[in-house]
Amino acid sequence: MSTSAPKVKKESKNKIKVEFDRTPLKERLKAKFLNTFFFQSVVVKIFRFIFLLGIAYVVLYPFFTKIAGSFMSPEDFVDVTVRLIPKNFTLDTYKAIWTDLKYLEALSNTLLISLVCALLQTFTCCVIAYGLAKYKFKGNGLIFLLVMLTMIVPHRTLQASISLNFTYFDIMGIFSFLSGGASVGIEGIDSILSSIHILKYPGGINLINTYWPLIIFSITGLAFKNGLYIFMLRQFFRGIPDSLEESAYIDGSGDFRTFIQIILPMSVPMMITVFLFAFCWQWTDSFYTGMFFTNPNKAPLVLSQIVGIPRSLDTDYAGQNMYEAAIKNTCGIMIILPLVILYTFLQRYLVEGIERSGLTAE
Amino acid sequence: MTNEIKLENQIGNKKTPKKRKIASLDKRKARVGWLFVLPFLIGFAFVYLPIVGESFWLAFNQLTIVKGGGYNLNFVGFENFVYAFNTDANFTQTLITGIGELIFQVPAILLFSLFMAVLLNQKMAGRAAFRAIFFLPVVLATGIMESIEASNILGSYMGESSGIDDGSGGSAASSIVSAIDIEQLFSNMKVGQELVTYVVGIINDIYGIVNRSGVQMLIFLAGLQSISPAIYEACKIDGATGWETFWKITFPMISPMILVNAVYTIIDSFTTETNTVMTYISTVASKTNGEVISTAMSWIYFLIVVLILLAVAGIMSMYVFYQRKD
Repeated sequence: MSTSAPKVKKESKNKIKVEFDRTPLKERLKAKFLNTFFFQSVVVKIFRFIFLLGIAYVVLYPFFTKIAGSFMSPEDFVDVTVRLIPKNFTLDTYKAIWTDLKYLEALSNTLLISLVCALLQTFTCCVIAYGLAKYKFKGNGLIFLLVMLTMIVPHRTLQASISLNFTYFDIMGIFSFLSGGASVGIEGIDSILSSIHILKYPGGINLINTYWPLIIFSITGLAFKNGLYIFMLRQFFRGIPDSLEESAYIDGSGDFRTFIQIILPMSVPMMITVFLFAFCWQWTDSFYTGMFFTNPNKAPLVLSQIVGIPRSLDTDYAGQNMYEAAIKNTCGIMIILPLVILYTFLQRYLVEGIERSGLTAE
Repeated sequence: MTNEIKLENQIGNKKTPKKRKIASLDKRKARVGWLFVLPFLIGFAFVYLPIVGESFWLAFNQLTIVKGGGYNLNFVGFENFVYAFNTDANFTQTLITGIGELIFQVPAILLFSLFMAVLLNQKMAGRAAFRAIFFLPVVLATGIMESIEASNILGSYMGESSGIDDGSGGSAASSIVSAIDIEQLFSNMKVGQELVTYVVGIINDIYGIVNRSGVQMLIFLAGLQSISPAIYEACKIDGATGWETFWKITFPMISPMILVNAVYTIIDSFTTETNTVMTYISTVASKTNGEVISTAMSWIYFLIVVLILLAVAGIMSMYVFYQRKD
């Protein structure tokens, strides 16, 4: 370090050029790169990158095999030399699924169901979560516990009674009462009761094979994993400062107007996250659609039900087992293809929406 | 203005001061709050409760579908439960192995997702791409895809030859490492055989674990983002290493998220349709008179899950660190 002040070479309005003894480039590079800290960070970076690459491979591998298998013809499954790259490239599998399994019909039905359900679920969960997050009333905690409870009890446990309940759907016996199906065991009253014929559903309404069960679940926040959405949104709404709403109230806005005009627009990223979850999980769902759409003649065909072997591809060739597995996997590809497209556009919301939510456990 | 002042004076005269006014606002707020949660309440009372009640009732009954429509129930008491435990040869066995598996899987998922979240939170090349890949299973590997994957022979077929990509002859679908390799690794560390089998199990099930830790990773990432960078900066200035920073700052600050994720993971992996117990229950459901017996079985299972959940949540919440908010 030199004690004398650096010599000024040239001075202009906002630039100044100074002359001083600079360490030679070689020395500087040495100091920068030839130390343990730098080596350590490089090693860590390389190790981290390889590790992430490995895990990414594990995640993507099933998709690779699916895609590879979808282009193979039956002969390729007998050929030992063929592994990931097909020898006899064919599009027959895709064609057969497209025509034989009514892909388009299933696609449009699934799109409709997923869109409606996801929109309803997003909105309902927002409303419920906002109520739980911003209003203090007796039973607030209890209701949140109930929300969690609906997530803990597996719907598989309730499968039998869910399907029974929607086959003979009735709200507290009201439909049955209005159609004369109710009885209390006393003859006089029973005869009066059975003369009511406002509706025509003495045993309740059969909602199986219609969209209604899914809509009812969605609109009441009981559908698949809605507890998780409500939890996420509740944490998000809690992070919004109360003063925002208070200023809206002072400006004369009511509770619901504040919610719709102030709160909802500012929570769009979080809502997109929830929507993406709801949409994708409804799209690939096979449990609910399998339970509610039992009759293929009456019920809408959905994507999760098309998994099967198209008739034109039916074969008893040597590699039959493999070939059928490949066909099923191709069905899988066809099912998730629209989701992959959606995911590439919206995936940043998935992370950012949650990341910026200020999601913290209390 | 003047009117209001007068009004206040009148109220003041009647000796009912501000208190009532505040109470009424609170009440109004409470009412609006109820209005907001009303959709859930209606659904819970009129749709969910009857379903749960009926399901519970079904477990104590015998079901016969009447031809004209409708069904009959015969009350049989605890017969279905007794059947599940005594007559059904496989149920108890499945229950024990299934729950044992899950108890081992849940910590693995938690550890893995925390580790990955910390990694993905660092700044590096290709972070966005890695994130996109790791969250892919969250949206894609569910429902029907999971059931296709469960009985999939394609992956193992494609990977069984040694020539594709890795020299070890393994693949993602078949076993990646053998117990012997790990044993050699651990032999100098004097750890028990149980730990070795556990680690081998985890590594071989890495696909399943990666698949099921997507949501947890997201929640952890959100938690990591909410830690103030100022704390890390202060740490760095004080000369703390990355290891120390993780255990002294990140870990305590993220501990509430660990609790949340533990609860979520338990719920998620216990209720997923592809786990051992659930698969067994659904095979029982398809047999004759299986509906009620499977319902009874799932209620037994549910009770055990709730007990485990309560125990885990209770123990963990004692050690959770909460940052005080001012």
